[in-house]
Amino acid sequence: MNMRRLSLLLLAAAAPAFAQSPEAKLGSADQLYQQGKYAEAREAYGAILSSGYESPALYYNLGNACYKSGAIPSAIVNYERARRLSPADDDLRHNLQLANMMITDRIEPTPRLFVWDYWDGIKNSFSLGSMVTVVYLLYALLAACAATFLLARTYRLRKISLFAGMGVLVVFLFFVMVLVARMGDITRTDEAVVMSPVVTVKNSPDPKSSDAFVLHGGVKLLLIDRVGDWSKVRIADGKVGWIEATALEVI
Amino acid sequence: MKTSMRVAAALGAVVCAAAIAHAASAELRASVDRAQVGLGDQFALQLTLVNAGIGGGRNLQLPDLAHFHIMSGPNESSSMQVINGAVSSSVTYEYILQPMEVGKFTIGPATIEADGATLKSAPVQIEVVRGSPKAKQQAAQGNEDLTAQIGDNLFLRAIVDRTHVIQGEQVNLSFKIYTRVSVANYAVEKNPTMTGFWGEDVETPKNIQTSPETINGKQFRVGIIKRMALFPTQSGALEIGPMEVQTTVQMQDRRSNDPFESFFRDPFGRQVNYMIKSDAIRITVDPLPPDAPSEFKGAVGQFAMSTNVDKKTGRTNEPIDLKVTLSGTGNIKLIETPAVELPTDFEQYTPKVTDNIDRSGEKISGSKTFEYLLIPRYPGLKVIKPVAFAYYDLAKREYVKLRSPQIELNIEQGAATAAPLIAGGTQEDVRTLSQDIRFIKLGEGGIVRRGDELRPGGVLIALLLLPLACVGAAFVYARQRQAVMLDQVGYRNRRAIKVARKGLLQAEYLLKEKGGSPAGNQRLRFYGEVSKALWKYLGDKLNIPQSAFSVEGAVAELTARTVPADLITSLKALLETCDLARFAPTSLDLSVMQRTYDEAQRIIVALEKTLK
Repeated sequence: MNMRRLSLLLLAAAAPAFAQSPEAKLGSADQLYQQGKYAEAREAYGAILSSGYESPALYYNLGNACYKSGAIPSAIVNYERARRLSPADDDLRHNLQLANMMITDRIEPTPRLFVWDYWDGIKNSFSLGSMVTVVYLLYALLAACAATFLLARTYRLRKISLFAGMGVLVVFLFFVMVLVARMGDITRTDEAVVMSPVVTVKNSPDPKSSDAFVLHGGVKLLLIDRVGDWSKVRIADGKVGWIEATALEVI
Repeated sequence: MKTSMRVAAALGAVVCAAAIAHAASAELRASVDRAQVGLGDQFALQLTLVNAGIGGGRNLQLPDLAHFHIMSGPNESSSMQVINGAVSSSVTYEYILQPMEVGKFTIGPATIEADGATLKSAPVQIEVVRGSPKAKQQAAQGNEDLTAQIGDNLFLRAIVDRTHVIQGEQVNLSFKIYTRVSVANYAVEKNPTMTGFWGEDVETPKNIQTSPETINGKQFRVGIIKRMALFPTQSGALEIGPMEVQTTVQMQDRRSNDPFESFFRDPFGRQVNYMIKSDAIRITVDPLPPDAPSEFKGAVGQFAMSTNVDKKTGRTNEPIDLKVTLSGTGNIKLIETPAVELPTDFEQYTPKVTDNIDRSGEKISGSKTFEYLLIPRYPGLKVIKPVAFAYYDLAKREYVKLRSPQIELNIEQGAATAAPLIAGGTQEDVRTLSQDIRFIKLGEGGIVRRGDELRPGGVLIALLLLPLACVGAAFVYARQRQAVMLDQVGYRNRRAIKVARKGLLQAEYLLKEKGGSPAGNQRLRFYGEVSKALWKYLGDKLNIPQSAFSVEGAVAELTARTVPADLITSLKALLETCDLARFAPTSLDLSVMQRTYDEAQRIIVALEKTLK
């Protein structure tokens, strides 16, 4: 950690004087977008990303620039990335929905248990920061209950603090689970988007294998397995096949 | 007369058909009702299909009739006869034709499909002569000279004011009759063809005003019978076709000098029908320059634009009238509706277009008004963007762009239109005009190095450890407290000094209370408190119940704990002093009490040091 910080500092010192902060770069990219230069804006956003920075707004704006310059699959990838960081964003949801309406394939997702919808709702309704805050507050409350239990002089107070602490513990554990799942969402690498305009999905990881189905650019896939350059994928309606990894971009 | 002749001819044809009814094979015959016809007269061409089988004829193909106008036809009539058991049928197609030129013509064969074969008629000859052949038959030879005379003295000319124009530029076309004879009547037989032009008739006086004009030394009277303003709609070499006018000429018969003969003549002279025809005119039209602005929609001439709203402030649901008026000279009728950008929350209708064209002048002028009815649905400041219009200015020879000023409308909330009884009656769905992605997020911070959002910061780690530390501390404290509570002796020992201090504090309070003149009762209580504090301290420190306590016992215990002898002596003395003061009240004054207090404090502090 210390070493990294040191090297970063060295890098910063070595960087030329005109190097801009990522915020300033984002501002100039936004300006390009506002002037209608979508392709240039797209490049500028991409440059910020490749310098190692990210934020939900950055992915969102890049998605918009891709959308406006006609690259719907890229727009979907970036919207999905933004959604991982900020799943409750209404603008983002709207734009992703529009972008998904622009793609060729209409895929009916398989129905799933309603519990998972609730779970996703809870998981995605807070920002990561507020979720951490909630978990921390529950943790502090739990500690307070424990301390009260330890220090209580009367039997009554000990009893109250014990039951309160148990209740808080249950809620705390639930939110820890939510937080862990959410952090897992951010770091997961098993989702991808088809980037090629048209790609044939095979029945086995072999170019000579029979064709399973055809997908068009912009379809979101779940990566299940990987053999060499081939990825085993599942689409929302449950169809499974093998696809060449070069046709995909992992979200 | 002509009609009766045609009827007779038709009858003849039918009779003819009947006569050959026994001839079983189908046949197509062509005939004309007369062999000689006057220019301007009409004759009938009959194509008779006889003995066609069931189904008759199909696909009748006319011969080349380039020298004739087809006035009407085909007039179809059919007949069927049964004579001596033999059935004969005939179908007659009759065309009424009018010759266009003088001369002898052969009307070529006509064809028809009947009974699976194509039948061909024989060619027919017809002779077209000037004037009416009947007149000729009746009149003497000199009459033909008269007709010829008309030919020189009566003609029609088409006159244009220019033959080389740019597309959309006005060309004035007028048809003039030049005459030296008396024209009783005229009728336009055939209007000129004007492919590639938009023509607008220019008003001409109902009664033709004639003016004298001299051509080749002959004086003619000239009358304009038709005036048109033409606007070419395409470029290239365009042709204005000839116009044909049928005139009735009043002939003054000057042939005979015999007064008697003239007496019997028609006093108004004879009337002769005479066809006059203008020449075709070619007009070269240049295309418009290519650098046309996008607002240009074909208007050529000179125009001005004005926009007008009937009110600048309105209420919702109250209509507002927006008028865009284009006025000037040029091809005003060809102007297309200029694009007006209206705020989207306005209800709008197709504009009402009104032309007001003045055809009386040399140039076609006037105005075109586009009237938009706008119904604002929502209050607020609404902006109608400037209306742009472009035209090609013929004087400047360049495109001119016109822009109206921007119109701002202040819409206030009008009265609710529907009575509240009808709930939701005026509600309408929010119309989605277009769907687009939402705008980018500006000025949103939170840019971090990738992965940093999951890396806990130092503050967070510290915050996470803090409650844990608190709980740990509470745990340690509770354990200690428990241990202390279990160790009663040690507890008393540790608390001894505290309890003693409390007792001494009470004593100090009593000492200082009445400002140096304590009553006897207070003095007693003072010594009691000091004594009690000392005893309690000793009891706690030496772990002796207070009941089983005596000065001797305490001294023995203290000695056992190696307390210095002088301290024990001082303690003994103090305890005795207290007892003495309590049980045998003496006149101990305040300074003595103070000394006792100080002594008690000193002893306790010294004992505390020794008895660790």
